[in-house]
Amino acid sequence: MSNLLNRFRNIFKGQREPLLDAQDLEQAFTERYRHFRRLLTANNNALQAMADLEKIYYSGESYRMAAVRSKVTAILVNVYKMIRELRELSGGKYAELENRFDFISKEIEAVIERKPDPPKGPSILPLTEVSRKIRDLTGDKMANLAEAANVQGITIPQGFVLTAAATNYFITQGHLAEMNRRLQILDPDDMEGLYATCDELQQMIINTPLPADLEELLQLHYANLEKKHGEGCLVALRSSALGEDSTGISFAGLYTTILNVDRDHLAEAYKKVIAGKYGPKAIAYRRRRGFRHEDIEMCVGCLAMVNANVSGVAYSTYPAAAGPTVRIVATQGLGSGVVEGSAQSQTYLVNREEPHLFIEEIAIPTPGLLSEQMLAEIAHAALLLENHFEGPQDVEWSFDQEGKLYILQSRPVLIPAEQKELIAPENIVKAGEQPTLLNGGVCASGGIACGPVYHIRTKEDMHTFPKGGIMVVEYPLPDWAPLLGRAGAILAEHGSEAGHLATVAREFSLPAIFGLPGLLATLPEGKEITVNCSERKIFPGCCKTTLAQMKPPRDVMAGSPVQRLTTDALRHITPLNLNDPAAIQFKPSYCETLHDITRFCHEKSVTEMFNFGDRFSFNTKMAKRLVAKVPLEWWIVNLANGIREGAVEDQKSIHLDDIVSVPMLAVWRGISYSPWQGPPPISARGFGSILLQSAMRPELDPAVGSAMNTKNYFLISKNFCNLSVRLGYHYAMVESYISDFLTESYITFRFKGGAADMRRKAVRVRLLADVLREYDFRIELQADILLARIKRQPREYLEKRLQVLGYLITHSRQIDMVMDQKGAVKRYEEKFLKEIDEMLSTASV
Amino acid sequence: MDIQKKILVVDDEPEYLELIGKFFQKRGLGFEIAGGCPEGLDWLSRADFDVVVMDVAMPGLDGLQCMLEMKKLQPPPEIVIVTGHSSLDHTIRGIKDGAFDFCLKPVDFDYLLEVILLAKKKYNESLLAQK
Repeated sequence: MSNLLNRFRNIFKGQREPLLDAQDLEQAFTERYRHFRRLLTANNNALQAMADLEKIYYSGESYRMAAVRSKVTAILVNVYKMIRELRELSGGKYAELENRFDFISKEIEAVIERKPDPPKGPSILPLTEVSRKIRDLTGDKMANLAEAANVQGITIPQGFVLTAAATNYFITQGHLAEMNRRLQILDPDDMEGLYATCDELQQMIINTPLPADLEELLQLHYANLEKKHGEGCLVALRSSALGEDSTGISFAGLYTTILNVDRDHLAEAYKKVIAGKYGPKAIAYRRRRGFRHEDIEMCVGCLAMVNANVSGVAYSTYPAAAGPTVRIVATQGLGSGVVEGSAQSQTYLVNREEPHLFIEEIAIPTPGLLSEQMLAEIAHAALLLENHFEGPQDVEWSFDQEGKLYILQSRPVLIPAEQKELIAPENIVKAGEQPTLLNGGVCASGGIACGPVYHIRTKEDMHTFPKGGIMVVEYPLPDWAPLLGRAGAILAEHGSEAGHLATVAREFSLPAIFGLPGLLATLPEGKEITVNCSERKIFPGCCKTTLAQMKPPRDVMAGSPVQRLTTDALRHITPLNLNDPAAIQFKPSYCETLHDITRFCHEKSVTEMFNFGDRFSFNTKMAKRLVAKVPLEWWIVNLANGIREGAVEDQKSIHLDDIVSVPMLAVWRGISYSPWQGPPPISARGFGSILLQSAMRPELDPAVGSAMNTKNYFLISKNFCNLSVRLGYHYAMVESYISDFLTESYITFRFKGGAADMRRKAVRVRLLADVLREYDFRIELQADILLARIKRQPREYLEKRLQVLGYLITHSRQIDMVMDQKGAVKRYEEKFLKEIDEMLSTASV
Repeated sequence: MDIQKKILVVDDEPEYLELIGKFFQKRGLGFEIAGGCPEGLDWLSRADFDVVVMDVAMPGLDGLQCMLEMKKLQPPPEIVIVTGHSSLDHTIRGIKDGAFDFCLKPVDFDYLLEVILLAKKKYNESLLAQK
């Protein structure tokens, strides 16, 4: 907070630009103000996009690459805008920010645009040359099948694989970019659109001619197969996607298999299997599990058809009442119906021990499909494969007309997914749960914690914060960030999930509820509480039922390419290293993330902008005296459109009725609400009366004083107002912009000094702070310096707060002189609150 | 705010054009539609627009190149890029070259409207500043 001091120091000592005339001043103001406003807008958008990105990342729900890409784009665009506007605002300073931005964005780009290495190897390989070692070229399915053939006692159909190299040759980067573009623009909830797009993409692939040399090679390998199986032999084309059958990620049944293909339809069938990658189910599944389309490469196995008599699947380990068994499902002819669940089938449970005795037959539409001998043969093969692949297997098999058993596929059996943790709505009280102390607010970061309440109001409070304590604050200021490593949870009366502190809380996995009023009053310091931030509930004491729910939710995206990529990208985006504007490291060269850049730009823009009134002096002749029924003098400098069109202006004064500045009029309603009753009685005969006189003495010629030092000046435009009040020994400033866009609207109030000693002055600013807190101002306090802010609120709301400030400027004058009197603070606070409430309840404008 | 000037939408997707057209109509915003960059440039040479909402991933002329052409006009319109696919490098180049904003489809139209209104505001402010 020494930054606050610096800002004030600058005001008093800071360098000044040369004197400007009215037009130049107006221009200087409007220009700077535009940049500032745009910077604030970009700041809000960048932080919102960061919060969105983290929200999808930490939600435990699945998300798609398109969403990540959109958010990263929004973040980059807005952060760059902030840099541009800050540089304009500051007259070209901070060039280093551009370098930092370029560096960080290149890192993010390297992550987001990261592509799997292009496959290297032959386009087509006979199965006899395939093994698990080259599964990155052939896909898991074909690699496993080829490997199964090496097991003594297992026979597979002969054939070959069109590898990932072939796919990569057929589907060009141009195709991929266009397909990704069409998928990006899809609304994720638009199922109809998804189906239509899938259809388009598949047609696009099918309509693309196979490169001539690849087609030739395909025919050559087919001819080789014909030599063994007879001329015109039929083949099956089966998908074999990279990563398809790895443990934990199934992709089961999503892709295409085409049976009974002859020579003339080879190329077409090949393309259809490749196009199967873009089926709606496959796309939806990839999204859910966090695979980009480029993470999956489709390879195709071309296998001689088995002239099947009976086919089916077998699970090498199946839990049954009597213990583990082999489960066999069979159907007449080809086995595809079993896999798809459409054919009439028969199920057998077979003993895992030799000689694989038949245990049970379930559902017998066609009895006698498999003999005990055949069942034993299948069970034997399944167990051989289980043994070879070191885990339970899901095996596809066929008996041909001659009674020979072929294995068509073998893949690991997946462990069933855990049940997803259910989150109850906040208003339901679960069994064993106590009634809540408070509930509601915004879940800024999910999770559960238990600990003692600790209020943080000042930096000093931070030193004594207990480890594991529940931090309760009024505003989630970035200043509190250093405590997050120690806190068990953080609760704030204000704020949203988009703030810096919310970001950091999520980064630390620290549970947080923001925007829950009444926390400080309801939760006394030291009280033990349990918070369930995901459900936005706060319980008294240590609630065991709630704590029992603490477990990391299962993440369906865990380990997926999209998650890895998002994790890596977030590292360059959200961590906040620049916490303290007063620190020596608060410089562009120390910005390591985009969040750092936003923080830096925001802080510096405020400094650059708030110095406007101080850095730009103006020729006081352009100020006009306000004509209104109030004591003291008020001077107006019209920056732009602050005065009614057609107003009769003379050289020296302007009438209140001619002023149209929305924020100024609001402040004025507060200033003129009830007349100041003069200085407090006790000091009337002493020092106070001298002050009063100095303040009240009219200085008729505005050119005489030294710029703004002795008078009350309003710098106004239609939507802007900057009021500086320098009365006696204190200084107050109100600045506000009221816009139709919430992102642009704010109020800032600064107050410093007085004639009394430091202790009494400090008591006064604390009194002001207390009153302003009642009206939702965000307060920063240091000694006798007060900074109060409000932003992103609608017009009416802001106007009322400006009225409050107007009232306080008038009525807090010189009360510092009596601040040591017993009960004075309380008396004034009560009086102020009562009168302000009366003022606000009387109809305004 | 002066919102009298029209918005020019440049995009090669008929469905998107239809949707955004309906959206603008409902809100009483003046707009014209161009199916590609040359048509867009043609519109700009004939009528007054303050904001161009354009895709940069269209067949033909490079979208950013097209934007630079549009920016040569006096006074230059503000360009809001709405596109289906853009590499990050491309995006950053676009924003450095003076695009007002860069959104990836699918874009929420209410959000897009606020972006367009802010772009109109900037256009008007730049005009004033020039005067």
